[in-house]
Amino acid sequence: MIALVRYTLSTVLLSQRYLPPVLVFLAGLLVFTGADDNGPLLPDYAVGTAGVFICGIWLTVVTINAPDPVQRSITVVNGGGSGRVLAASVWVAALWCAFIGVIGLLYPLTVGHHPVDPAVLVLGALAELTSACTGIALGLLCSRLVVRRTGISILAALAAVLLFVLVPGVPPVHPVFQLLAAARPASAILWQVVLFSLVSVALLAASTMCTRFVADRRD
Amino acid sequence: MRLQGIGKRYGGGSWVLSDVDLRLSDGDVVAVVGGNGAGKSTLLRLLVGLTRPTVGSVLERPATVGAVGYVPDRFPQHDRMSARSYLTHMGRVRGLRTNLAQRKADELLDRLALVGGADTALRALSKGNAQKVALAQALVVAPRLLVLDEPWSGLDVSAHAVLGEIIGEVRRDGGCVVFTDHRTVVAAAHATRVYRISGGRLAEDEHERRELAGVELCRVTADAVDLAVLPGVVDVRARGDVMVVTVADAECDAVLGAALAGGWSVHAVRRTAVRS
Repeated sequence: MIALVRYTLSTVLLSQRYLPPVLVFLAGLLVFTGADDNGPLLPDYAVGTAGVFICGIWLTVVTINAPDPVQRSITVVNGGGSGRVLAASVWVAALWCAFIGVIGLLYPLTVGHHPVDPAVLVLGALAELTSACTGIALGLLCSRLVVRRTGISILAALAAVLLFVLVPGVPPVHPVFQLLAAARPASAILWQVVLFSLVSVALLAASTMCTRFVADRRD
Repeated sequence: MRLQGIGKRYGGGSWVLSDVDLRLSDGDVVAVVGGNGAGKSTLLRLLVGLTRPTVGSVLERPATVGAVGYVPDRFPQHDRMSARSYLTHMGRVRGLRTNLAQRKADELLDRLALVGGADTALRALSKGNAQKVALAQALVVAPRLLVLDEPWSGLDVSAHAVLGEIIGEVRRDGGCVVFTDHRTVVAAAHATRVYRISGGRLAEDEHERRELAGVELCRVTADAVDLAVLPGVVDVRARGDVMVVTVADAECDAVLGAALAGGWSVHAVRRTAVRS
């Protein structure tokens, strides 16, 4: 599995398609996180959480669509099955989300003057885990494995973003986003965020199985 | 390995394959011939497990990771990765340690004479050289089952000889080889059994064991015609200054005529059947 992850990661790195989503994430962080901000940290983490969600979808689609379908079929034969290759893609997307997620957690600390509270950091990390898992889950469903046409894939991704970020009450990203933005004490909302992060992990597992089923059926 | 009562259709479309039975034993070299769109590639994808049969079952496919080598008919060429690094990755994916994978990659690229060097990006390679990389990735680990889709098209003459050797080696090591080709003479020359697909059905083709002739030619002019592209030519090997050409017996005179007109001199001709 490590060999497959390494190969998938190199393909994405060499294709350079990771650049747009990563740059959009950094730009968003720069614009929406106030410089010399002395207020609570959680609203800043809400920005990072939204960024990880949107760019998580994008990075997942990029990771899966980077290799040509014929090249992917060679990898499937060599790697011992489509399930393993898909799992490697999910790991690579998760690595990308971890990379931007860590930036999202640390950047507000470096530009503002916030009291560093471990509970708040844990809360931010859990919120980003939630949006990363949900983002990867939706990215899988918008990738070439499920949606063949690029145009429809982009529309589906936009619709997913609008649905999950803007429509109130759609779990798990929007509620977490609201909890963070409300700037309530970390201890008061921790268990709720834990719950939503578990929901997102379940979503990722379901989406991975669904993607594998659809892709295998079509072949 | 066995295919039992295989039928395949995509979605609600018409049946691409139906009632296909095939048994592969160790040391088999099976050729599958058929027209364009006859279902050759689909059969190969079923063999390597890229696609599942709609009905029927595939039994006893070599299950260990790296035991199956698959060479598709075209190899995508828009990757920035170098040939060596691609092969090293594929070696690792098939369970080799990094340094062994690197050594195997270099050996194979050397053997197949990749033009441009091992560090050339895949997308900078010509079609023929990309096809060499596609062949090499299937061989970084000696396969138990080697599946090749139209392997002779796109490879140059020297690589044809190496491909013949490679098929022989896999067979000697107890593996089996399945390949497709649209030219039946090529299929008959390299295979132990020839099957024909038509109308979605697979049938062993006894008539394809055609008589072959051996022709030895010497180059006269520097710009002599490429022998491998002449119709009827099955195999070309260099032996010192002499090119040893295997041709379909029926095409022998035509090939000789074209070779003489194209800057070659006849060294020897054997019209008795020569099976490689």
